[in-house]
Amino acid sequence: MSGPSFHYIEATRLDDALAQGARHGATYVAGGTDFLQLWKTGLAAPKTVIDICRLPLAEISYAGDTLSLGALSRLSDVAAHPDVKIHHPLIADAILASASGQLRNMATLGGNLLQRTRCPYFRSAGLACNKRAPGSGCGARDGENRHAALFGTSSGCVATHASDLAVALAALDAEIVVASAAGERRLRLPDLYLLPAPTTAPDSSLADGDVITAISIHDACRFAPRSTYLKIRDRASFEFAVVSVAAALQIEDGVITAARLAAGGVAPLPWRLHGSEAALVGRAPGKAAFAAAGDLAIEGATPLAKNAFKIPLLRSAVIRALQTIGGVS
Amino acid sequence: MTVTQPPSHDARERTPPRIALSLTINAMRYEIEISPSATLLDVIRDQLGLTGTKKGCDMGGCGACTVLVAGRRVVSCLALAASFDDAVVTTIEGVGTADHLHPLQAAFIRHDALQCGYCTSGQILSGIALLSENPGSIAEIREGMSGNLCRCGAHPSIVAAIAEVAGL
Amino acid sequence: MNAHSHARYEALLKVTGQARFEGEIAPAGLLHATLIEAPIACGELVSVDAVEAPTRPGFATLVTHDDSASLKSSAATTLIRETAIHFHGQPVALVAASTLAEAHDAARAVRIATAARPAVTQMDQALGAAIAPEMVGRFPAATRRGDVATALGEAELVIRNRYSTQVNNHHPMEPHVVVCWWEGPKAVVHTSTQAIFATRATIAQAFDMPPRNIRVLARFLGGGFGCKGQLWWPWMFWAMLASRKTGRPVRLELSRAQMFTLVGRRQQTEQDLALGFANGRLTAITHDVVAQTSAHTDYSDSTAVYSRLLYACPNVSTTHRLVRTNEPQPVPMRAPGTAPGTFALESAMDEAAERLGLDPLDLRVKNFADHDQETGRPWSSNSLLSCYRVGAERFGWADRQKRKKRDGRWTIGFGMATTLYPAIRQACRARVRLNGDASLVVQCGTQDMGSGTYTALGQIAADALGIPMAKVTVELGDTWLPDGPFSGGSQVTASIFPAVQSATAQLRAMLASMAASDANGPLGGKTSDDLDFEGELIRSRSSNAAERLSDVLARTAPDGLVAEGESAATDHPKLAATGMGHGAVFVEIGVDSALGEIRVRRVCAAFAAGRILNPLLARSQYVGGLIGGIGMALHEQTLTDRATGCILGKSFADYLIPVHADMPEFDIAMIEEDDPHLPGSVKGIGMLGSAGIQAAIASAVHDAIGKRIRHLPIRIEDCLGPACDTAQR
Repeated sequence: MSGPSFHYIEATRLDDALAQGARHGATYVAGGTDFLQLWKTGLAAPKTVIDICRLPLAEISYAGDTLSLGALSRLSDVAAHPDVKIHHPLIADAILASASGQLRNMATLGGNLLQRTRCPYFRSAGLACNKRAPGSGCGARDGENRHAALFGTSSGCVATHASDLAVALAALDAEIVVASAAGERRLRLPDLYLLPAPTTAPDSSLADGDVITAISIHDACRFAPRSTYLKIRDRASFEFAVVSVAAALQIEDGVITAARLAAGGVAPLPWRLHGSEAALVGRAPGKAAFAAAGDLAIEGATPLAKNAFKIPLLRSAVIRALQTIGGVS
Repeated sequence: MTVTQPPSHDARERTPPRIALSLTINAMRYEIEISPSATLLDVIRDQLGLTGTKKGCDMGGCGACTVLVAGRRVVSCLALAASFDDAVVTTIEGVGTADHLHPLQAAFIRHDALQCGYCTSGQILSGIALLSENPGSIAEIREGMSGNLCRCGAHPSIVAAIAEVAGL
Repeated sequence: MNAHSHARYEALLKVTGQARFEGEIAPAGLLHATLIEAPIACGELVSVDAVEAPTRPGFATLVTHDDSASLKSSAATTLIRETAIHFHGQPVALVAASTLAEAHDAARAVRIATAARPAVTQMDQALGAAIAPEMVGRFPAATRRGDVATALGEAELVIRNRYSTQVNNHHPMEPHVVVCWWEGPKAVVHTSTQAIFATRATIAQAFDMPPRNIRVLARFLGGGFGCKGQLWWPWMFWAMLASRKTGRPVRLELSRAQMFTLVGRRQQTEQDLALGFANGRLTAITHDVVAQTSAHTDYSDSTAVYSRLLYACPNVSTTHRLVRTNEPQPVPMRAPGTAPGTFALESAMDEAAERLGLDPLDLRVKNFADHDQETGRPWSSNSLLSCYRVGAERFGWADRQKRKKRDGRWTIGFGMATTLYPAIRQACRARVRLNGDASLVVQCGTQDMGSGTYTALGQIAADALGIPMAKVTVELGDTWLPDGPFSGGSQVTASIFPAVQSATAQLRAMLASMAASDANGPLGGKTSDDLDFEGELIRSRSSNAAERLSDVLARTAPDGLVAEGESAATDHPKLAATGMGHGAVFVEIGVDSALGEIRVRRVCAAFAAGRILNPLLARSQYVGGLIGGIGMALHEQTLTDRATGCILGKSFADYLIPVHADMPEFDIAMIEEDDPHLPGSVKGIGMLGSAGIQAAIASAVHDAIGKRIRHLPIRIEDCLGPACDTAQR
């Protein structure tokens, strides 16, 4: 059952939006695709919706090996943009693996990064969920947890983050530009997200009233020739990832000189696989190096009753992604 | 005993004022007042009575409510209507008529690309948008149409109809 | 009767968005209703406190169990008359208001008090308390022929396994909806139902009113698959009570989430199956099914029934037991019984073939049942052997092992299985009116849920009278029309055929006699058996003489002619032969065992189900059924939270059904049968595609990666093999 109706304010200037957004009971809406699902199931009940989708924050530019993506760009526009396709195909791949053509036309970059978990315990009002109702417990930990995370969980939350885009951006060391009434700040993408505590599990480090204005990626077009987003799911399309891997390599003279790996569907945030990356750099691409990266990817994974299969799956996915871009079979 | 707790805030606060909205739907201009929380689907289907646009899940998961906004396909059930002031919308009623069918509508009939017909409007609008993206293969059509569910199982005929119009 | 691939009768309305589904009727003053759901899985509704709700804007009325006291007690009113709560999400009240948003606002202001009792939230918690129903549908639940124990003891090979299938939900794309109002003592009910006459009868009983005062309409139905039947009635009744209380029309539409809980499900099964073989022939079958039913109503699919008759076997024992859980009520869903039952039986046959060193197809041919061994009756017709042969040829089954077993990342596997479904009829009536201009109106109070009933009905009548489809109007879905069959069990076309045939035969006789009786007319003096109807003419077979239908009518019946026909229901005890449709399904799948992904690549199915009226629409039905079967095999699973009994993931983002990208190539062969026992040789076709394919896919997975998966759905975790660094590339 939907939440109560709300006041609607269309923001035309960022400073107005920031002032309005900091008020109690206000929420921003851009594409609205996640917000309306939450509102219709009674999980979001703002007094006021501040519509920011017409703010001039949808510009895409590329200069000096910095790609800057306005946070209100629609996913489909980003995926189709020549600078993205040419210099950062990983981003386009991840977007095109997301949702459906309709939803990609609606959803914005910022909204995609801030979408809430698909954990069914979170999405069902009334079930135990510390993320939705702090202190109520976690129904998934001892319940149906096939979808749940392997890393970064707490005793009180095992939810995963659902964004494909975030996984690709994490691999590319993207930076998030956040505006607030106090000014602008920049964070590394992983710092946008929070790991769960024992009885609470807020999604992000953003404060009320903060707006993501842009995403920028520096010094990463060197990965354009060798990058891939591998998404594993039960059906062939239009499904959140069971496990996904964003992988990018730089290979010079037969040696891996840089490696980026991040996994989705396995943690409360896009899970950067630093250990695997370190194991690849300086080695020749090939079976041994990739297997080592796969082994390291699953180090520290803690399975629950129904998601243990994700551990070998993640290992295989890392290896497969590296094989795809590693230039060896 | 479990007692559900109703929200406690004042009833007078509960009904935010309606807001004005201009829409152009199928070349017809509408100046209406809407609830701030209404979706584009609510407005099109319930308020304006254009019932060719269907509500299948109301959660963006089935595509039955697909309409075109400025030629791009969206799921109208997850579109906050207030965000679409001055939008140019095409619904199935604006695609073609019995006397002047859109080529894709005619192809749907030839290929029997429908059974119960409830997903059909969304499939056709999604297909029209996809055709404008010039799909290059059957696989691309299948992927591109995957946001439109069909429970009767008309998928192969739907894809065949789109492929025919695409010249594939 | 001639087969003809006429375009779907109502296709033009559907592709232009002009087909008006019943929930789209918008009478003036319409109220919108919503249901308030219980937050517990088992217990009692203690109170509904609605002090605040009436103060909310737009509030019109609240309907509770107290209001249901005015309804007669019956199975359809139990849940709304008794305050016991049997499952999580069971509605405890209905609120109607001027808009749906206002109904939600008012509903949130209603305070519900419930007292919980311990709930059985999953089948395994109460296996010991399983009960044995007497009947499963129209079949006895337990049967035994021969001496199974001895035969299994003496068998050269015994295959004994447990197979399990999960809960599925139907999910027609159109949610259940009613728009209803009262006109004095009369009720008008526009609703998405697969059975307008049964709906009328149930309303008449519950509201204690004569059926003639009730009009139920379902002219277009956005799918059904078994869930638009009896479980919808209680909530529809509450909408009708709201309308009666307010004097205004009321609309109630279920949310997609409510379609997981309120309108039925395919029950979960655990099936113990044993097959005994000697010399490659089945000597014994035991098939023992335990399945979930709700805490308040017993329902069992006929899951093991088909193990009694699909193959020749002297010793067969089958049982069905039910476990009552505080979960939603199961009902028939797309190939009820045959889908889960053949998954077990046909999977075991594949395993047996492997152990016997026989081709799975040859094993089936060798064990073909040349008559119905359970009843001793002959088959009314049975072309299963042709299905095997034709399907295998078109698929390339014989040389499948010569094909490459790898395609890029995919390991290829092949599998096949048998499907079947009974051919039965319901009693019904149909009316055919021939207008003075030789246009035709065919009327029957049945429904078209997408299965092609409009087209079939029109085609049967048009064909009998030699009138083109363009001049035929078909009217369905209104209880003002003659009593039609409910849309279920693949029975509609077979049921209406004799009724329409009878009506058109009467019209032909009248027309022939009118044409022959005019001594000056071109057909004067001809006998009726010399006259045929073709191309809008009455034509003499023995001469070139012919007269236009419209001329005959203008001369003798300018206002047209009307006739009604009747069909009798299948009289099971008196049947001389068992009617059954059959099919053989062959699939090619790919498994990426490093990533666990599985995709169906190619499906070839040969079906034999009597005579096919319209090959274009029949193909759609078959393909649609197969896609439903793929969903059951690979995707669909409804989960219950063990702690609370709450159904989890009540959305299409969680409950996965196949999408376009999952589609394989389909090749459908239709084998025509003449059936001397069935009117017009018509058998139902709708269910055939949805069974068999699950076992074919499971067998193909085994062929690809060597793993026997004995549960559905088959998913990533089932197919994960060694990591791709060790797989052959």
